[in-house]
Amino acid sequence: MILPYLAIALLVLVTAYSAVVSFRRPRDGRAPTWIFPSGTKRCAQTAVGICTLALILGMAAWFTIDARHSNRRPSRFLIPEGYVGWVRVEFQVPGAPPLLVEGTEYLFKFPPSGLLSTSSSEEYGWAKDHYFYYSEGGTRILPETGPGGGGLIWGKVNAEKSGPLGKRKYEEFFVGTEQQFGEQTRGEQKVGSSAPETQAK
Amino acid sequence: MAPFFVYLAAGAVTGFHVYTLLRLTALGSPVNPLELFSLAGSLCLLVAAYLSLFKPEAAAKLALLASLTIWCFYGPAIARTIGWF
Repeated sequence: MILPYLAIALLVLVTAYSAVVSFRRPRDGRAPTWIFPSGTKRCAQTAVGICTLALILGMAAWFTIDARHSNRRPSRFLIPEGYVGWVRVEFQVPGAPPLLVEGTEYLFKFPPSGLLSTSSSEEYGWAKDHYFYYSEGGTRILPETGPGGGGLIWGKVNAEKSGPLGKRKYEEFFVGTEQQFGEQTRGEQKVGSSAPETQAK
Repeated sequence: MAPFFVYLAAGAVTGFHVYTLLRLTALGSPVNPLELFSLAGSLCLLVAAYLSLFKPEAAAKLALLASLTIWCFYGPAIARTIGWF
């Protein structure tokens, strides 16, 4: 990825340039040059002002239009009781069943393997999803929080992979405590079936 | 116009880079306070870019201060990547 290298290169350039301009003796008889200007022409200032205004208005319009199309139907994820580890939903799988809709939510019921395939397409946008452990005795909620909040859902990823059947979109996330997620991502723990404690629903 | 484009490009690129790193917090990675410090420096660089159209010397001082602020994040990050600590 070129972005960090570009950022560092530009940062070195700015630091050196601004240091030279800041510490050189001002107005010691040298004529202004393009690299050390004494100011900018009025027309250039106006052009920059107009371009900036156009950029701000364009971004505001883009965000407004984007926000109107950023909602999707929320999802309800049902995970087998005791499952700890990564779960994955694969979308647009030929022959797989479509997603069920329960109330206003898509229903994702994972098998014990943690891998769910569906012929439905993935939806994008903002929505409040819900996560549950399910068993014969009912369901219990799995909280989703930020770091340190005691959540049990981590590392949600929407991505695409190439395979023999072409590109396939998938979504995956980790079910477990924050500590288990950290240990798992560092390769210190293999996933098991010791479920973290949460309140029953 | 040269200082304007240099400060603008540096502010935009460093700001966007740190913003992408901050977005990883949504996936559970911890927040580094130096990232927020660096992001503030990138904003100052953007201010310096516009200031350079009117007062180049004052803009240069602001840009120097802003770039040193950004180095507070990039310096340790580079050192850690190289393996100095």
